[in-house]
Amino acid sequence: MAQPLVKKDDDRDDEADYSPFLGIEKGAVLQEARVFNDPQLDPRRCSQVITKLLYLLNQGETFTKVEATEVFFAVTKLFQSRDIGLRRMVYVMIKELSPSADEVIIVTSSLMKDMTSKTDMYRANAIRVLCRITDGTLLTQIERYLKQAIVDKNPVVASAALVSGIHLLQTNPEIVKRWSNEVQEAVQSRAALVQFHALALLHQIRQNDRLAVNKLVSSLTRGSVRSPLAQCLLIRYTSQVIRESANNTQTGDRPFYDFLEGCLRHKAEMVIFEAARAITELNGVTSRELTPAITVLQLFLSSSKPVLRFAAVRTLNKVAMTHPMAVTNCNIDMESLISDQNRSIATLAITTLLKTGNESSVDRLMKQITNFMSDIADEFKIVVVEAIRSLCLKFPLKHRSLMNFLSNILREEGGFEYKKAIVDSIVILIRDIPEAKDSGLLHLCEFIEDCEFTYLSTQILHFLGIEGPKTSDPSKYIRYIYNRVHLENATVRAGAVSTLAKFGAMVDALKPRIFVLLRRCLFDNDDEVRDRATLYLNTLGGNGAVVETGEDVKEFLFGSLDIPLVNLENSLKNYEPSEESFDINSVPKEVKTQPLAEKKAPGKKPTGLGGPPTGPPSTVDTYEKLLSSIPEFANFGKLFKSSAPVELTEAETEYAVNVVKHIFDGHVVFQYNCTNTIPEQLLENVTVIVDASEAEEFAEVASKPLRSLPYDSPGQTFVAFEKPEGVPAVGKFSNMLRFIVKEVDPSTGEAEDDGVEDEYQLEELEVVAADYMLKVGVSNFRNAWESMGADFERVDEYGLGPRDNLAEAVNAVINLLGMQPCEGTEVVPNSSRSHTCLLSGVYIGNVMVLVRLQFGIDGPKDVAMKLAVRSEDEAVSDAIHEIVASG
Amino acid sequence: MILAVLFSNSEGNILVERFNGIPAEERLHWRSFLVKLGADNLKGVKNEELLVASHKSVYIVYTVLGDVSVYVVGKDEYDELALAEVIFVITSAVKDVCGKPPTERLFLDKYGKICLSLDEIVWKGYLEHTDKDTIRRLVRLKPPTEF
Repeated sequence: MAQPLVKKDDDRDDEADYSPFLGIEKGAVLQEARVFNDPQLDPRRCSQVITKLLYLLNQGETFTKVEATEVFFAVTKLFQSRDIGLRRMVYVMIKELSPSADEVIIVTSSLMKDMTSKTDMYRANAIRVLCRITDGTLLTQIERYLKQAIVDKNPVVASAALVSGIHLLQTNPEIVKRWSNEVQEAVQSRAALVQFHALALLHQIRQNDRLAVNKLVSSLTRGSVRSPLAQCLLIRYTSQVIRESANNTQTGDRPFYDFLEGCLRHKAEMVIFEAARAITELNGVTSRELTPAITVLQLFLSSSKPVLRFAAVRTLNKVAMTHPMAVTNCNIDMESLISDQNRSIATLAITTLLKTGNESSVDRLMKQITNFMSDIADEFKIVVVEAIRSLCLKFPLKHRSLMNFLSNILREEGGFEYKKAIVDSIVILIRDIPEAKDSGLLHLCEFIEDCEFTYLSTQILHFLGIEGPKTSDPSKYIRYIYNRVHLENATVRAGAVSTLAKFGAMVDALKPRIFVLLRRCLFDNDDEVRDRATLYLNTLGGNGAVVETGEDVKEFLFGSLDIPLVNLENSLKNYEPSEESFDINSVPKEVKTQPLAEKKAPGKKPTGLGGPPTGPPSTVDTYEKLLSSIPEFANFGKLFKSSAPVELTEAETEYAVNVVKHIFDGHVVFQYNCTNTIPEQLLENVTVIVDASEAEEFAEVASKPLRSLPYDSPGQTFVAFEKPEGVPAVGKFSNMLRFIVKEVDPSTGEAEDDGVEDEYQLEELEVVAADYMLKVGVSNFRNAWESMGADFERVDEYGLGPRDNLAEAVNAVINLLGMQPCEGTEVVPNSSRSHTCLLSGVYIGNVMVLVRLQFGIDGPKDVAMKLAVRSEDEAVSDAIHEIVASG
Repeated sequence: MILAVLFSNSEGNILVERFNGIPAEERLHWRSFLVKLGADNLKGVKNEELLVASHKSVYIVYTVLGDVSVYVVGKDEYDELALAEVIFVITSAVKDVCGKPPTERLFLDKYGKICLSLDEIVWKGYLEHTDKDTIRRLVRLKPPTEF
């Protein structure tokens, strides 16, 4: 049976601390709800039961469908009672139960009766309940009453109808949009809240009609809006209008700026702040416009209300990103916020100061932050660390104090993300500020002495292996690294062994000692650690003597894998165990083209440990490795030059092919990069048939077909030509792609067994003189020119014929020779009549070449050029003249 | 929109939680987030002294009233200042109902009235009434004194 609530008695608060809902249980309360069915209703008891039901619902308790229905039907019986308090509870209860569409009908008539009642409060509440539980059909029936209610003289009724309208707009927009006139009238209401609700609804109704919003804003900014809440809405709508009309104004005066500026003098802080923020967010805001807004925000910084301080510092923090100078005036007030009790405010203040501070204030700022760091959460600390990193990159001279700060906080307690942020910051500073390298590396060394995160330890060890050997005293890091071999888990130990090997490889003097340490690692109890130690002891060679490490060993230790890991992973997945062992050379080396969106995304510079330690290996290195791995080309000697890829197909064709020309002393290799863009096809045995009839000096000697070219997985085929040694032979080549095509079932991805041979015409390809020239710059052209001497200087004059301007002529000659312009001389000042351009390069056979070009243009745009060439070889100087003469 | 109004006792047990526009599966997360925020920061805070935080584009304003912690969460037009207004209305109404900053017991004793007051203040995520005297009359189904 129902139990009455414990008697309420305020005086007993202290002694009776137990909850009146102690031991409350859903089943029992649902039982109690049967009192709603009593013929003689006890309003007080019913109210108590409803309170208990509300308590359950507010605790997150849910009723099953059956339970909810039962309670709902019981509650509807309470409409019989005339008790006002109970009626109010019934309204809340029905809203909370949100009955389903088929149940609603039970209460509709009672609510409709209340909605047309003479008692205002019944009307208001009935509207709210009906709108909460109604659907479209019922809404059309009560629409008439709702429209009347919107303009009801009782503000409670009007507000009930307006707020209901805001909700109904989501579900029944067509109906609510018909109430425009009434809502418009309500906007003029004298009741502040009615005006607020009406403005919100009217804007929502018209939000897609730019002209209407403009009109609404124009009329209201002239009139008076009573409630501060409504005024805030108006400011928001006004900034929207300003944003959208920004491009249409011709005069330069910003529309409505005066209104916003006027709001800065409003009596309500809420309005002042809203206006200030709106001004700071204006597109292309000028400092003149910004000043009054910053002034009020500055006042808020020292407000006694935390919310105002927070709002102000948050806004100023945003402004500091785009207009740091505008915020500097607030720095003093901002500094006092560092000790603010509210940590959100303090963090915002610090990060703002770090953005706006000048070099001289850094030390003072760091002192303040140090005290602050100990009592904020990790997520705030990370924000501060990132801000300090940016500050250090901005003021590199301050690296000492900033680096010290970072190392101090690195020693304190903190989670992984926080520690990673600090380590990343130190790594970035080491890379970008050379003076910070030594101290930064030592800080990292100290950190790994007591680092609980394996990931960070191994990353730091890897970084140490690359940067440590390049420092003035590499030996001082060894102790920290070798300690890891004793004290850490297997993953870190293996990392430490690799790092030691790198020191051994790079610093010859350290090699004997590294050997001793590596030998000790041979007794480690982990396979990987022992394997690595054995491997490095063998590769480093020299048996521990002070000898220079071979280039190939360094390449092995420091070089990249040279195969995109994704490709390797795919190839390994596709490899089926068979007698033929897995051939790493069969892994495609070309990185799959990324979707455009992905390419654009990673624009951020700081990469920390996650990013590559130095730039990716140069393309020449990559090509050299690729070519030397192909037996047919292994004896061609050293690769002299590889051209940029030349497209041989139009964009978006079935097969995309480009070619890279690799120049050797006596050979030329064409590397055709092919991509199959048809998912339903598998190409096999892909070759390019090259016709060299217009390249007399070239003779085809080898061709390496591509075994298989699946959809969207690029592969390469090669053709090699012999040419007279050291001679810059030129010629034209026509190309035909030949392959066997097999159909692929897109659902299974399996190819048919039989294929058809097919061909695909590619564009022509040329080998030109510039292919035999490497772009190599000199830092001081005059010095280089003088020291080269005039022994093999050749000078001649040429007429270049009519040209549009000098710049065009200069570019044409640079491209023809394929040389590196020096000292910015490739840029021709506008409308100049003469110009001198300086070029340098290395010609095939490794001969340094310097070129001085003097251009002159006469009246009918005829360009004349004087070409002076100096090189280490007479024949080469002549060859350059020949290139120009025949070009 | 006002995304949540939440009351807890000093130990972090929920007394009232009302969510608007927050999916059911995220509510538990919000509840524990808010309670932790209070546990971390509300110790020693004076009655009705507002604390504020933001998480992505969502704002949170919270305070202590007697033995009860009050949290409101909002986004868009309900930024920190609008929420400060909302929480002011809520605390005024609760004080009005209880006659003083409530103990937990007093809060629970007046639970029904408090629910009715909240129903007048926040209507599915929108601020409806702001004047405590009006609200006191409205929960008794009496019209406001002057209009």
